[in-house]
Amino acid sequence: MTLASPEYLWALLALPLLWWLSQPPKPRSQVLTPHMQQWQLAMRALRRRPPHGSLLRFVLLALAIIGAAVAAAQPFAGGQSGPSRLVVLLDASASMAVETEGVSAFAQAKQKLLTQFEQLPEHVEVTVLRCGGELRRRHGFAARALQDLGEPAGSLQADLNELAEQVETEDCAVWTLTDGQGLERLPSMGALSHFDTHGGNAAIDAVRLIDSWPLKDLRLEIDVVAYAAGGSGDAVSAELQVLGATTSEQRYRCQLRSGVMLTHTFELQRDKRGGELVVQLVMAGDRLPADDRFVLSLPPLPAPRIAALAEPDTANFATVAAATLAEEVGGEVVANKSDTPVGMLLVDGGLVPLVGDDGVVAKQRALTFGTRLADSVDAEVWQSPAPLDWSRSSPLTVGLDLSELRIDRAWRGILPRGEPFLWQQDGDQRVPLGVLVDGGATASVHLAFRLQDSNLPLLAAFPQLLRRAFVRSYGEAAAIGVSPVGVPASERNLSVAAAGEDRALPEFGTAAQSLAQWFVLAGLLALALRAFVR
Amino acid sequence: MLRKISLPTTPELFPEPFRALLPALLATRGSIDAGRIEQLRARRSVLSQSGSFVGHRRYERGDDLRRLDWSAYARTGEFFTKQLEEDDRRAVTVVIDLSPSMLAGTPPRRLGALRLAAVLGGLALARADGVSIVAPGASNASKRFTGTAQLPQLLEHLQQLPTAPVSSSTAAALALQAESVGRVHWISDFAPVQEFSRPLLMLRRRGAKVAGWIATVPEDEAAPAGGYLRVVDPETNVELSVPVDRALHDELRRQLVLLERQQRRMFAEAGSPLWRWDQGDCENPCLADYLPVVAACTR
Repeated sequence: MTLASPEYLWALLALPLLWWLSQPPKPRSQVLTPHMQQWQLAMRALRRRPPHGSLLRFVLLALAIIGAAVAAAQPFAGGQSGPSRLVVLLDASASMAVETEGVSAFAQAKQKLLTQFEQLPEHVEVTVLRCGGELRRRHGFAARALQDLGEPAGSLQADLNELAEQVETEDCAVWTLTDGQGLERLPSMGALSHFDTHGGNAAIDAVRLIDSWPLKDLRLEIDVVAYAAGGSGDAVSAELQVLGATTSEQRYRCQLRSGVMLTHTFELQRDKRGGELVVQLVMAGDRLPADDRFVLSLPPLPAPRIAALAEPDTANFATVAAATLAEEVGGEVVANKSDTPVGMLLVDGGLVPLVGDDGVVAKQRALTFGTRLADSVDAEVWQSPAPLDWSRSSPLTVGLDLSELRIDRAWRGILPRGEPFLWQQDGDQRVPLGVLVDGGATASVHLAFRLQDSNLPLLAAFPQLLRRAFVRSYGEAAAIGVSPVGVPASERNLSVAAAGEDRALPEFGTAAQSLAQWFVLAGLLALALRAFVR
Repeated sequence: MLRKISLPTTPELFPEPFRALLPALLATRGSIDAGRIEQLRARRSVLSQSGSFVGHRRYERGDDLRRLDWSAYARTGEFFTKQLEEDDRRAVTVVIDLSPSMLAGTPPRRLGALRLAAVLGGLALARADGVSIVAPGASNASKRFTGTAQLPQLLEHLQQLPTAPVSSSTAAALALQAESVGRVHWISDFAPVQEFSRPLLMLRRRGAKVAGWIATVPEDEAAPAGGYLRVVDPETNVELSVPVDRALHDELRRQLVLLERQQRRMFAEAGSPLWRWDQGDCENPCLADYLPVVAACTR
């Protein structure tokens, strides 16, 4: 028997004190008598006995105290030396997703752990460290149940060999479960379970997207790489596919040299309804499918209802322009009614109250030509403004040639505050003839002249200007969802993983049996017996 | 469990008041003896195998069978013993119990016992009889004094007697070895009774006329009223822790009464008187306290 806390045995020093306390009190008065016999006879006649301490009662009390003191000292017996802790280093890097007969290496590792944990003595403390991707630590019951370890992902950032050397002690066993991917050599300390993930693999390394939002043009630049099972230098055949939210599926068959990256570009027309755009690489004998698929979640393209407003006496430039724009962006021209929602407003002349009392243009997608935006605006006719100039950097006019633009009549003071992109050069002063009012998610474009008062509709740049005004009025492009994050480069080449022989776990120590409860029981029994002893 | 007990010290045995009282006490002899000298002489006679025949006495249990008068039995059909007046000088033997149990009491019984011995011895010296002081356990266990002039030596001897545990049978045997036994005054507490019964009969059968004396102490009458007491027998060192309450007090008094009866019965069976003497105020002795002793001696 061994005591875990022998310092509690000091409590036994109280036994002499208890012995003293258990003795009956000593009389302070003494009487000498020759009649002891008469005293004894009188006591006997009254059935009395002199107060006396009972040795048996004290022995039972002492046994109870000894039992309590020894129980407090935590006695235990038996037990076999050996580790009492187990630290599991579980490789959860992306390469552990490699499947063999439909079961991933990670699932095999977890099953092996569960099987081993069932045979593990109860007293062994188990800690599971998920190494690779997000580091997770599970201890005790959660470790034995392998709770919430996730799926293999990411790269193996920890050096399992160094980690095993640090963890392994006389009292602590370490067990590494890995496929060796990303390791120079397998851990030399502790138990080892190696999972074979050797084989060929093709991966999409990167997908670059050039979006023409809100237009349907889409360009995909895809980097792919393949690793042959036999090593570098071998050529492998693969097919790159673009499926889903596109007007037509794209397939590109290619020959890849092992370990050499290939970039291919797809020019696509997005489906205006949006949806998932799947990019996948198909290769025979690919053991790691997780890095073969790239999914883009495309939002639906805006398909606005375009309303055209024009003064009655004007030509139908506005209607023609609206029809041209609707065809360009896949929208439709609708009548301007109060019950019909309008996504884009095209106005030629007249008055449209878009400016509030604070002088700020309401957030609305609008393109106006010589239109007053508020009743309070006092429009002053401006005959033949010249010379004209335009911005070379504005998104509306960059690359456009407006040198042929002629304006017969314009109006001063009808433009709201905004970024000028067209103006009349008056010495060093620029008098705006066209401004872009940026409202963040929306924008509006305003010009100080009507279409019929200029030759703008006749210029080649006019459709581009309409299109750019439409694109700019939709602000920032809608976000494209991308999933999943690709497998790290270090996890792709499955032919370079470190390999080694499995090593079994050491014999764990057996739990020492506590004897404290028996001593407590003996103490209680002694106290119970003492209750019956006089 | 036996433990060493502390024995009380005895107060001065014969203080000046007592010594001054003693001559007056001895002088009372005449008035007490007057008119009854012949009768007293007859009563003081000690049975002996030799001496002059002075008459008969009815047989009492314990009498020496050799002194039965068979002729008188033939004539009357009843037992009579022959009364012979001894030729030796009339002697008195005072046997003193020096055992530690005599230290019990407040004041100690030993004080009264030794003063009683002094009075009895003084009376014997005053009658020109010899007195033998038998004190078993002392270095000089038996010492004889004669004549009134030796009264101071007697007192000195008594004062020097130690406390010694001696059995009652030893005391009886020692008394019988005295030069001339005569009348035996046995001063003791006579407790427990059974230890004294056999020695007393032995003395009686050997022809000694024994008178028992108990110098009483208040504890002979009643137990302490209450309290938690350690009761110790100084002779055996046996002790008892006793919580004394009213019931125990009454029961102990009843036991002490029974003891007194047993003592009287024991002496009655031996044909001997037992005198219980209360010494009174030991610090200021007075004549009246001692007159019962003188009276008892003259009977």
